[in-house]
Amino acid sequence: MDDRWVPALIAPGSNSPGAPSLLHILALFQGRLNTGRSVSGPSEPPNDLFPDTSIPEGRVPAEAILCTEELRRRPSRTPDYEKENRALLAVAGAMMASDSDILQTLADAILEAADCDSAGLSLLAKDGGERFCWTAIAGQWKPYAGQGTPRNFGPGGDVLARNCTLLFRRFERRYSYLLPVLPAAEEVPFYVGGKAVGTIWAILHTDRRGFDAPALNKRGFDSEDERIMNALGKFASLAYQTMESMADLRTQIAAREKAETLLRDQATGLEAKATGLEAKATGLEKKIRRLVDANIMGIFTWNLEGRIDEVNDTFLHMVQMSREDIASAGMRWIDLTPGEWRAGDELAVANLIATGTAQPCQKEYFRKDGTRVPVMVGAALFEKGGHEGVAFVLDLSEQKRAEEAFRRAEQQARSIVDSALDAVIAMDADGVVTNWNKQAEQIFGWARSEALGRRMSDTIIPEQYRASHERGLRHFLTTGQGPVLNRRIEITGVRRDGTEFPVELTVTPLKSGDTWTFTSFIRDISERKRSEEQLRESELHLRRMTETIPEMLWSASPDGAIDYCNTRVLDYTGLPAEQLMGNGWLKMLHPDDADQAARAWMTSVKTGQPFRVEVRAFRAADRAYRWCVTSALPLPGPEGRILKWYGTIVDMHDWKQAQEELRNTQAELAHVNRVVTMGALAASIAHEVNQPLAAIIASGDSFAAWLANDPPNLERARAAASRMTQAATQASGIVQGLRALFKKTPSITRLLAMNEVITETLSLVFSEVERKGVSLNTELAQNLPAVLGDRVQLQQVILNLVINGAEAMASAASQPRRLLIQSKVTEPSEILVSVADTGPGIDSQQASRVFAPFFTTKPEGIGMGLSISRSIIEAHGGRLWAEANQPRGAVFHFALPAGAIHSMPAART
Amino acid sequence: MSGPPCMVFVIDDDPLVRDSIADTIASAGLPVQAFGSTTEFMACPRPDVPACLILDVQLPDLSGLDFQSELTKSGISIPIVFITGHGDIPMSVRAIKAGALEFLTKPFRGPEMIDAVRKALTQDREFREHESALTELRGRLATLTPRERQVLTLVITGLLNKQIGGELGASELTIKAHRGRVMRKMRADSLADLVRMAEKLSIHPHTPEHPTKVE
Repeated sequence: MDDRWVPALIAPGSNSPGAPSLLHILALFQGRLNTGRSVSGPSEPPNDLFPDTSIPEGRVPAEAILCTEELRRRPSRTPDYEKENRALLAVAGAMMASDSDILQTLADAILEAADCDSAGLSLLAKDGGERFCWTAIAGQWKPYAGQGTPRNFGPGGDVLARNCTLLFRRFERRYSYLLPVLPAAEEVPFYVGGKAVGTIWAILHTDRRGFDAPALNKRGFDSEDERIMNALGKFASLAYQTMESMADLRTQIAAREKAETLLRDQATGLEAKATGLEAKATGLEKKIRRLVDANIMGIFTWNLEGRIDEVNDTFLHMVQMSREDIASAGMRWIDLTPGEWRAGDELAVANLIATGTAQPCQKEYFRKDGTRVPVMVGAALFEKGGHEGVAFVLDLSEQKRAEEAFRRAEQQARSIVDSALDAVIAMDADGVVTNWNKQAEQIFGWARSEALGRRMSDTIIPEQYRASHERGLRHFLTTGQGPVLNRRIEITGVRRDGTEFPVELTVTPLKSGDTWTFTSFIRDISERKRSEEQLRESELHLRRMTETIPEMLWSASPDGAIDYCNTRVLDYTGLPAEQLMGNGWLKMLHPDDADQAARAWMTSVKTGQPFRVEVRAFRAADRAYRWCVTSALPLPGPEGRILKWYGTIVDMHDWKQAQEELRNTQAELAHVNRVVTMGALAASIAHEVNQPLAAIIASGDSFAAWLANDPPNLERARAAASRMTQAATQASGIVQGLRALFKKTPSITRLLAMNEVITETLSLVFSEVERKGVSLNTELAQNLPAVLGDRVQLQQVILNLVINGAEAMASAASQPRRLLIQSKVTEPSEILVSVADTGPGIDSQQASRVFAPFFTTKPEGIGMGLSISRSIIEAHGGRLWAEANQPRGAVFHFALPAGAIHSMPAART
Repeated sequence: MSGPPCMVFVIDDDPLVRDSIADTIASAGLPVQAFGSTTEFMACPRPDVPACLILDVQLPDLSGLDFQSELTKSGISIPIVFITGHGDIPMSVRAIKAGALEFLTKPFRGPEMIDAVRKALTQDREFREHESALTELRGRLATLTPRERQVLTLVITGLLNKQIGGELGASELTIKAHRGRVMRKMRADSLADLVRMAEKLSIHPHTPEHPTKVE
């Protein structure tokens, strides 16, 4: 960047008002524009020199760059009037030749006259003068013609502002868009009609004229330059004014000429049109021929009488005919048309005659084989008023097929929608109902015909929500956000009669092309809501009840997790509710019972069977486990699945104990009974047997006495001995007769369910057997046939066998003590009952004697049990026997005939 | 058979038992008769000798105890030895209270039975003797005139003849004569003897206030 002062000279014109003042300005400046490019090289003109028209901050003030006084100070040259005249002549000549070139010529003249590097004109733009336009430039800056500087911020602006010639140097310091190297710019304003319209300027780009070093042959701009510039400027102003006037004149002339031309043109145009039309017609005919032959559609020519003249191949194909068919038959297009379309044809013909064209419409033609082809036909007369024309025919078969398929699909969709159990309502982007299915009619009470076309909000949305619906719709359409769309929501709907009711709603938006459709699926959930409400009510009611009832209550969800215990439960167990929820309730049970209870519960939960277990539960009050029975029933829901389990816990400890005592008492009683019976029996037996015994003993003594006689009375002795034998025999008979005694006893015989008899008997001995540490198990077959017999007697047998078995296991070696009672069907007509123990079993030595009377291994036993039992069973037509049990112990079996009356076997003697 | 005359009766429905008991008695040298029922027994004439009855409590037609009360009602007194197959204490108590001599439960030993029988026979003998003596006395009493009866009654009260006369309105001499006859008829050896006889006959001494009843 050159720091030397660079002079720029710009001179304004005079400001005498009224007369056109010709102030010539001499502006000399050197420089290059602030484009970052060297002016001397080939360059493209910048696009935009006017980023703004206001003066930016920080520029040096105008005074800093002005050095106009230099013009006067510098030694002046002698006026070179020749140069001046030459320049003026050039401009005049240019003016005469062509006013359009005048400005350029002026610029050239300045260039030569001022002996500078660039020269030009800056004219204020005619649009209000906001900028100067470099209308013409000569010299180095010629490429920049057409561009310019802002009015307020440029050398031109300064000149006009000061209204005098100005010499600038280094004006780039103020006008940053002008980046000079060595500018010396002289700028002169010139006026037209008293208004400053611009400046003329000259620029020195280099220091070739020696501005700062005034050598004799080197100088910058001086006053001579100024003078010439001024002269040129004045002349330019005048020239410009003249140019303007001439321009006006010319404009007027031009306008007139233009009008004339226009007229001529119109005439010419019409001719041309006619020619053109002809050409067009020829061209068109070619095109038509092309169309006809292109076989895109059927085309034929016709006359109003109905005759067909020419046809193209496509048409023939459509109607499956040949040209000969058409021609020979004198085919008329009326003939090709089925009857029902005739009316349409007549209308079309009328249109043709009236307007010259018949709009395309659908109809059908007959094919040669009599089938119909759907077509679209349009026709036109060749000339209006004529009676010949052309028709084009489109085969709509495909289209019809597609239409049909579409119609079917639509029908299907419609029937789906109609058969839907939900109301299906479609709404467009304006909120108007476009579809309304059968269910919607039913639910909301609007017929389809009534609903279509109405705003959806006016039909189904309750009044208080309508505004927000509209808002929501608008919001969606503008933002694409739809919080209620594409999900199930529960809101209130309104029926036609004004009743509001709860509905479940899903809205799905669909965009097709540019249009939105909103499809709503609506379900009337009044029923469901009612059920839910009822359920809630009943739950509430239940809850109130459960908290008041003085019983322990609980409930569980269908998966088996406890979800509620009433206060009684909490008080009883001393546990807080949270600990009992889910599986926590197991905590309150005795550890030995918890597993079984949990398993039973799970089974019930899975199968839906009523739940009942007896367990020991922990009572906080006395810190002890007490027997409780907990039971629950499922609450079934509408579809058959389980909604809830409801259960109770009842403390039955005291009852159980009482039962235990009762059982004990009963067992005692039975025992006593047995003892008494046995006692009585024994007494009876004793008495019976004492008779022969007395005979034996008495005879025995007398036998001895007779023998002790002197002499011994042998005869009597023998008699005594004989009596003894007899008596013994009698005694034996009595024993045998004991069995017969049972037969003689009147017994109550009826059909019995053996399993019942067994379980009844066991209930009597259960506690006693348990006390002996024996576990009593049963395996009783289902569907045992009934047995004819005496209940009491059979119970006696079972009692006897069970007590025997239990007592057999009294020794420690029998661990574990297990007694198993089984019942099953062995033959079709026989049932078998078995009592098995894990005691020492039957000694093989004694095996045969177990059933013998008076056989006992017990110190206090009488030994009649098994004997009597066998008698009873045999009286029932069965048999009783014993076997060894595996791995140890004994099994006593008895078999009884089933069902029908069995004849009693004869008594043994 | 030897020994004083007596008879043992056995009633038991069981023939073996019956025969055996009869044999037991026989082996002890005692005469015995056996019956199968009380009816048979009653139908048979009884010898007038000390006797004893061995009676089974449990009899089909009539229980032994009932028979016992029947015998008593009909005035037949014969010591009974009950035998039974039961050993019922209340029954035995009842029986003894009703006068049974013994209550034996079957089976019993022979000697046991014989002892009971002998005891019974002895008792019966004594009883019979007692009874016959009494009959004798009664016979003697029957020979007394009513007056003598009156005198007897007053004599045993210890009244003097004179007092007796005063009582009866007879002279002392008369009384004395009656007294003599009474003593003779009654074959009393002494007054004390007579008193004993009267006692046996259940003649009560009476005081003058009570008039003598003539039986």
